[in-house]
Amino acid sequence: MLCRWSRIEYQMLQKKAEEEMEVWWRSRKWEQIRVFFLILLLHGVAILIFTRGFLLTRTELPFYSHCSDLSQSPCFSTSSSSSSTSSPNSSRCWTKPVIDRVVIIILDALRFDFVAPSTFFEVSKPWMDKLRVIQKLASERGSSARIFKAIADPPTTSLQRLKGLTTGGLPTFIDVGNSFGAPAIVEDNFIHQLVQNGKRVVMMGDDTWTQLFPNHFKKSYPYPSFNVKDLHTVDNGCIDHLLPTLYQEDWDVLIAHFLGVDHAGHIFGVDSSPMIEKLEQYNLVLEKVIEVLESQSGPGGLHENTLLLVMGDHGQTLHGDHGGGSPEEVETSIFAMNFKKPPFSIPPEFDTSSGGHNLDGKKMYISSIQQLDFAVTLSALVGIPFPFGSIGRVNTDLYALGSGTLNSEGTNLEKCQNQSELEQWKQNYVNVLCINSWQVKRYIDVYSASSLIGFSHEDLLQIADVYAQADKSWSNTTKKLFLHQNECSDSLLPALKMQIDLYVNFLTSVAELARSKWTEFNLKMMGTGFGIMLVSLLIHLLSIKWVAKQYGASFTCGDSGISLGLIVACFVVVIRASSFLSNSYILEEGKVANFLLATTGIFKLRYTILRKKMLLEAVVFLLLITFCRFTIEIGLSKQAVTSQFLNAYPSWIMSIVSQFPAWMYIAEVVPILVLILLSYLLYKTISSSYFVGIWKYMIMGTILSYMLIAVHWASESGTWSLALVSYGISRNCIPRMIYGIGLGQVSLLAFSQLFNKDKGLDHSKSLVVKTVGMLSALSSVVILLLGKQGPLVALASIIGGCCIMSLGNMEHEAKDSMSDPLAVDPLPVTQWNFLAACMFFCTGHWCAFDGLRYGAAFIGHFAPIIVIDMAGLPYTIFRFDEFILIRQAILLTIDTFGFSHILPIFALPFLVARQNMLSQKQFILMRLSQVYLMYGLITATTVTVTMLCVTIHRRHLMVWGLFAPKFVFDVVGLILTDVLICLASLFYFGRVEKDVQQNPSTEK
Amino acid sequence: MNYTKTFLSVVCPWNRDSAPSPTYKTKSTFLDPPWQPPMNQSTAHTPRGDRLIDREIKRSSNRKNMKANATTSSVKFSAEPEPEAEAEVSPSSPSISALEALSVHLISGLGLGLALLLANNVYSVNLVSHPSLTLLLISVIECPIVILLYSRHRKNREECSYLKAVGRGLVGLPVGALVNSLGAIALGAPVGTQYFLTTIYWSLMMSLFTIVPAVSVFGSSWKDWQRIFAQTNCRPIGSLDFMICLPAHGAIIGAWLGAWPMPLDWERPWQEWPICVSYGAMAGYLVAIVVSFSLILVRASFQHDKRD
Repeated sequence: MLCRWSRIEYQMLQKKAEEEMEVWWRSRKWEQIRVFFLILLLHGVAILIFTRGFLLTRTELPFYSHCSDLSQSPCFSTSSSSSSTSSPNSSRCWTKPVIDRVVIIILDALRFDFVAPSTFFEVSKPWMDKLRVIQKLASERGSSARIFKAIADPPTTSLQRLKGLTTGGLPTFIDVGNSFGAPAIVEDNFIHQLVQNGKRVVMMGDDTWTQLFPNHFKKSYPYPSFNVKDLHTVDNGCIDHLLPTLYQEDWDVLIAHFLGVDHAGHIFGVDSSPMIEKLEQYNLVLEKVIEVLESQSGPGGLHENTLLLVMGDHGQTLHGDHGGGSPEEVETSIFAMNFKKPPFSIPPEFDTSSGGHNLDGKKMYISSIQQLDFAVTLSALVGIPFPFGSIGRVNTDLYALGSGTLNSEGTNLEKCQNQSELEQWKQNYVNVLCINSWQVKRYIDVYSASSLIGFSHEDLLQIADVYAQADKSWSNTTKKLFLHQNECSDSLLPALKMQIDLYVNFLTSVAELARSKWTEFNLKMMGTGFGIMLVSLLIHLLSIKWVAKQYGASFTCGDSGISLGLIVACFVVVIRASSFLSNSYILEEGKVANFLLATTGIFKLRYTILRKKMLLEAVVFLLLITFCRFTIEIGLSKQAVTSQFLNAYPSWIMSIVSQFPAWMYIAEVVPILVLILLSYLLYKTISSSYFVGIWKYMIMGTILSYMLIAVHWASESGTWSLALVSYGISRNCIPRMIYGIGLGQVSLLAFSQLFNKDKGLDHSKSLVVKTVGMLSALSSVVILLLGKQGPLVALASIIGGCCIMSLGNMEHEAKDSMSDPLAVDPLPVTQWNFLAACMFFCTGHWCAFDGLRYGAAFIGHFAPIIVIDMAGLPYTIFRFDEFILIRQAILLTIDTFGFSHILPIFALPFLVARQNMLSQKQFILMRLSQVYLMYGLITATTVTVTMLCVTIHRRHLMVWGLFAPKFVFDVVGLILTDVLICLASLFYFGRVEKDVQQNPSTEK
Repeated sequence: MNYTKTFLSVVCPWNRDSAPSPTYKTKSTFLDPPWQPPMNQSTAHTPRGDRLIDREIKRSSNRKNMKANATTSSVKFSAEPEPEAEAEVSPSSPSISALEALSVHLISGLGLGLALLLANNVYSVNLVSHPSLTLLLISVIECPIVILLYSRHRKNREECSYLKAVGRGLVGLPVGALVNSLGAIALGAPVGTQYFLTTIYWSLMMSLFTIVPAVSVFGSSWKDWQRIFAQTNCRPIGSLDFMICLPAHGAIIGAWLGAWPMPLDWERPWQEWPICVSYGAMAGYLVAIVVSFSLILVRASFQHDKRD
């Protein structure tokens, strides 16, 4: 009796306590969620401020050069021969126009070795020597046709390069962010000057040009540029318009921008047959173009005085990636050809070319030019004012090549027979350089005056010094020029040479200064952002303490002290974070994460040996890490061909693939089998008793999606002829169906959140059900986007997650569970985070913009059409639907962060759900919030160190190539993590409140 | 406060009577004294385990006193064997004096040095130029030294002959090498034909540093292995434990730390696998030997003091 009483009493007590707990939790729940939002807000503010300081745009000055400005300069407004007053000079502006028309053919991502003969390189590769017409002309025409090695400045993305080419400045990194939105150029630029001075510009090809210069072109034939998989639309459009336009008279400058090589590189890589086909196609096109120009280049012809430029905007790596600052990406090429043969060759002392032999053994020269110099050189040749913000120098070789026709006017010849043509050219060139230097000096002065943080004072003084010296020398030279104007002596030549050297010196030092200091980091803002980030870390830490303390205060079950797990977790996190301080470790980030994960795995293995249980899990976990490690190395090998992978692993993998066609079958069958296994696992899961009603049907939907994915891949591979599923349908409909199912499931989940119906479940179990539901809803889309590696990675994640979970549980069981049921062991959370990081690298991503898998943005958006190609043969290509930026960006985000952020964060409740023996929801959710806080803290710590790292390395050589992309990826990852944590907390916590609200009503 | 009590009664109803003190609650961690659950679970049920624990308690309390003494009285380093004291500590495992410990450590340390010297002077190879050859040489020289030396101090002398101990040491060598190489591969050691031999020799060396001494001494006694390699919270009990546990951990931690320069882009020859890792392992091993020996000395002097 007594016993019974006490039991009833106990039950009542328990109930009462539960109610109290619920009331208590209700008040706490929103505090918890508020903490997450507060942290999100803090991170957002910190990152915003830091980014404003770090990824600055160069201040764009709203000034434009005008013809009349030249009167302020010390230079002659006319050419050195002041007596020339013939009629063409009336239209002269800054320099004497030496060419009438320019044809600029831009081949996107034109590597230097596409153009230069293979004899210039150690090894001849299959993609070399395909543009034979260029090589032929360069060796035959001597000084009137020449190949230049053009050095671009990073970032080597098309938009930045176009901006740099036309403005003659150094576009900064922030523009990369605008790359897909391509805003119009507001700075003074070459195209603007052309239009201002009455030149007519025709453009065809890449539509980035029309976005950059919306109102400048007289005629334009733009074609969409983002559809990477589309090799032909832009090029065929260009070809269609290029040749007819060459016969027309109504233009002065023609720009044709071909994209095929860039896209072929992105999709197939450099060493591939589509690339070679593209190059051969270009060779044909160029032959035709040159033929047309040549035929019209006679006296009085349409192209009597035309300059042809065939150029790349940037290079590409062997995998077709570009954006960074590696030599392969930076080195591109310019081929310049003047259809009039200049009567003299370039003065040897200025000749920067390197000699070599072409394929036939003839001597040929290759000069080099900075892309920075392109705008100003071309402006000088066309005779328009130099762009205001240009800091380039008029390139000697290119100017000489273009201005060889200068002497044909023969204005001076009768005056002084002795004066060599060379000297006269030099006089003209000195004058151009004088204008050039004056313009650069003006820009530097105006820039320092108008921009708050410009160049440092010493640097400005030094620049001014160099300029003053050149200027002083110039006044002497002019005096001499005037003195000797009517008499001929050789004394002028050394003076001219000295003068040229002085100007070149000035211009080089300005360019150097601009390169080294242009990116004007705002240290105050960076410091503030970093400070806020540190504060947020502190708040993070305090809130973890606070959550623990809530219990400590309420339930006397205080927080645990410093456990070994905590020490190891902190140690590992700190090591991973501090590894970002070195560029080498950032390059090998995946391996480092894997190394540390393996370390924690070994640490856990020790525990299992100690406890003598779950040895299997620990070993499986280590094996999984080993598997990840090899996958990461394969991913890295794509990133850099010279990486250790290819050295360490002779091409036995490749040979296996080539020797056994069965291998191909395996490669296609395995993902599908794994997919089936996954759906079987899901089926097993839902057949257990927890899943009732709506959940069951929802997860059935996921299984359906998996099946659809399998069908999609099977039909795509072509190994199996699926008669029932027509090609087009499977290609488009299935992915769209999967997107639809995924979206439907997620919205269903959100919906059920509002009207949560299923109650009475064990809370721990209901959390598991929710988590499984959420994960299954998200997984199908992620797997589809990731392609055939998707199911394998999913399986690996599941196994890894299970191991971490059970190993974490083991520790908990081993501990006296009563001592602190609430303290969350940080080590499993850390492992979870690291596993997520490993998954990011396993799925073939890396922290660079070329690491984005753009292909994923196009899954489910193909439309086959039949087109007629150049040769008149019909063939089928896949054109894309109208590109919808936002949808594609979402798909790209899901692909990039799917396995590394989205799924792990939504899967985190597994860590607490299983762990708990006391299935009180408050405990579980409190723990969950603690787990989320820890997870967020780990991510935030690494991002904070990345910020510190970019602050320290802001003048590092690799800052734009390596640190800045890493920073951007980390920051995006952090914000995504925060947002997802907020969403997850709303999703998983939300239910309790409903419970609480309903409970009183039921009791009434 | 009332509220919290209610909660406690809900959460831990069986604790209501034996109301534990809050201090006990808050301090229960892994670093706790060994009468806490982690230790209990593995050993509590056997009488011998109990004895061990009792001894451990005694010893730890002794040590506290000793520490207090050590601050006041000067520490006397005595190399004399103390059979009684050691026998008290672990009767089943052979006692080992500080002198013996010194000799074992010294010989194995010197063996390592000798191997390096021999490689450098006689064969004129070193770790950087010929890693595999040098590692092989180290393994070949260290192997007899370690196995023969540690087999002398085998446990359960009456059951296990010297030859048997040597034999199990020899068996332990490849097994330990396998474990070490698998661990290294999990951590990211390169795999490939050109690294095959070096990895094998490296793991043989690591095996000699870590697994082989333990195999020679303990054989396959799971409990001892647990004590040596998996227990962080309980300190090794005997001098012999120090001698096995510390160098093994030292070598592993040294190798782990030795891996850090590998990803750097300095392009030095020694950044290759396994050169810097081997250097790290050897350095860690030597440091651990010194630490182990000094700990044994300190213990010996404490026990000496205690007897006084």
